[in-house]
Amino acid sequence: MPNTSPLTPYPVTITKIVDETSDVKTFTVVFDDPDIMENFGNLPGQVCMLSVFGEGESTISITSAPTRGKFLEFTVKRVGRLTNVLHQMEVGQKFGVRGPYGNWFPYDMMKGKDLFFVGGGFALAPIRSLIDFALSDQYRSDYGKVEVLYGARSMDDLCFKSDLAERWPKLHNTGIYTTIDRAEEAWKGHVGFVPSYVEEVAPSPENKIAIIAGPPIMIKFTLPVFAKLGFKDEQIITTLEMRMKCCLGKCGRCNIGSKFVCVDGPVFSLAQLNGMPKEY
Amino acid sequence: MEARIVNKGQLSELLDKLAKDYDLIAPIQEETVTLFRKISGAKDAFLEYTNSDISPKGCFLPQNEKTLSYMYTGDTLEIDKPEGAKKTVLFGARPCDIKAILTLDPVFEGEKFGDEYYSSKRESTVIIGLSCSKVLSTCFCYAFEGGPCDGTGSDLLFTEIGDKYYVEVNTEKGKALADAYSQIFSSQGADQLAKDKEELAKKLAGEFVRKVDLTGVKELLDKNFELAYWSGDDQKKCIGCGTCTYVCPTCHCFDIFDYTTGDFNGDRLRCWDSCMYPEYTLCAGGHNPRPTRKERVRNRFMHKLKYHLDRYNMVGCVGCGRCVKKCPVNIDITKIINDLKEVAQNA
Repeated sequence: MPNTSPLTPYPVTITKIVDETSDVKTFTVVFDDPDIMENFGNLPGQVCMLSVFGEGESTISITSAPTRGKFLEFTVKRVGRLTNVLHQMEVGQKFGVRGPYGNWFPYDMMKGKDLFFVGGGFALAPIRSLIDFALSDQYRSDYGKVEVLYGARSMDDLCFKSDLAERWPKLHNTGIYTTIDRAEEAWKGHVGFVPSYVEEVAPSPENKIAIIAGPPIMIKFTLPVFAKLGFKDEQIITTLEMRMKCCLGKCGRCNIGSKFVCVDGPVFSLAQLNGMPKEY
Repeated sequence: MEARIVNKGQLSELLDKLAKDYDLIAPIQEETVTLFRKISGAKDAFLEYTNSDISPKGCFLPQNEKTLSYMYTGDTLEIDKPEGAKKTVLFGARPCDIKAILTLDPVFEGEKFGDEYYSSKRESTVIIGLSCSKVLSTCFCYAFEGGPCDGTGSDLLFTEIGDKYYVEVNTEKGKALADAYSQIFSSQGADQLAKDKEELAKKLAGEFVRKVDLTGVKELLDKNFELAYWSGDDQKKCIGCGTCTYVCPTCHCFDIFDYTTGDFNGDRLRCWDSCMYPEYTLCAGGHNPRPTRKERVRNRFMHKLKYHLDRYNMVGCVGCGRCVKKCPVNIDITKIINDLKEVAQNA
């Protein structure tokens, strides 16, 4: 039976706000209706429509893994009207959420394999759900080594600092590589762009899946590096962004050829993308 | 298939009765524009039209529609939804426009996500089609297996034969309506008019002036996204006004936004949108996957001739000819179809 009221948002209450950078915040929310929270059933890689009443709706990926508890996290950059109002909200205030929408990372296909994540800027957000899913007590044994290579423009632009510096490195069989574009006095880590850092770290393609998310320019220069390292197109997974209004495959605008990113995506392998028009 | 007869002299009586018992939506003339609106009786209806300027798709996907209202005080949030649709009769829709509704059905009545607003109107509406009595120079419904007297998708189809309407009863819904007004829908002598209707259909089929042949077009588009053709002068002349999409009976794109009506409350609206506008695909960060008219024109025609077929196994065009007639710079989908055929043949 189809869901006949998919455009109806449900109220959520903000329980926590983390300032990731000067213009990126992570909102932790729970549905006011415990039944909806209990049965939400989101999978890593899926997205939601956030309703900020008076401004409308925006598609935002779910940053949290379902394995972390009965809450949702959304990492939101302040870029426009809706996100500007969202950024002014405080703990205890409410907005609306509907979803979950879209496909998810093929976590079954990834079983038994090492995972190499690449994130740029605040685009670590959509893949963080899978990182935490694979690192959860429940599913950790399904996956091999989990590595995360993450880069941002500057120290100030690094998101999920505590995950990168504390939480993930302490977990079994992980590798965390963080870089910033230009040197800063207080920065002791790697300096350089993401593509060249990937080349330096040189992950082996053997029994490995690469999951990449970032600005188009980063993806453009990172894909050839993976090709050079011997990764096949099927081993490279990414997640796309498009302007969306309904997230249900009806409002029309997020199509790439005959596919709608909102229902057929947002997760695509490079092999799939190669068979689609370059219109994203 | 059952058939009935309605005397033309009784049409006013029928429309008045329908307006009383249902929400009756029928063609009207507003200044020089023919469009579909709710009417209070036969006196409002305008039936001397070839095809309306605006299609009746708004019966099911209104140009502006409230999807919910909200009341948010900061601490409390209430969301109310409008009531479902009232029982409605859509009278006078042309066969091409009814076919267009069939192409919208799979979009809104999906396997995973339905659409209560669309479905509620669709379920509570009886569609009474009206066969065309004339073929316009812009018509090409035959190219999509339609026809001026084709009843596909209608509950009842009226065809004007002399001083009578020959009425085909195509569904149970249509039969129930005809039975409810049995003093108007006569069963006597309907069979004799069936032949007249066949002849009219045959006669009209020979009156199309536009030659449109889709052979090879889909196959060409399947293999070629980048075609030099889309950068041609004919396509570049698009001024991005969006008229084609608003008059198109199969275009279903919409925008959703909030209209604040008070300090804490407002309505969420769903409104027709157009893929011909740059803002349509403009992302918050400034990236635009279809930045110029070339990509937008290509997307519109690819949607009509390929994407809708790929997704729903239905063509995204019904040959109503509105975009051909209304485009201010004479971009013509029939020319594009024929040009693409030529491109395919030369490939």
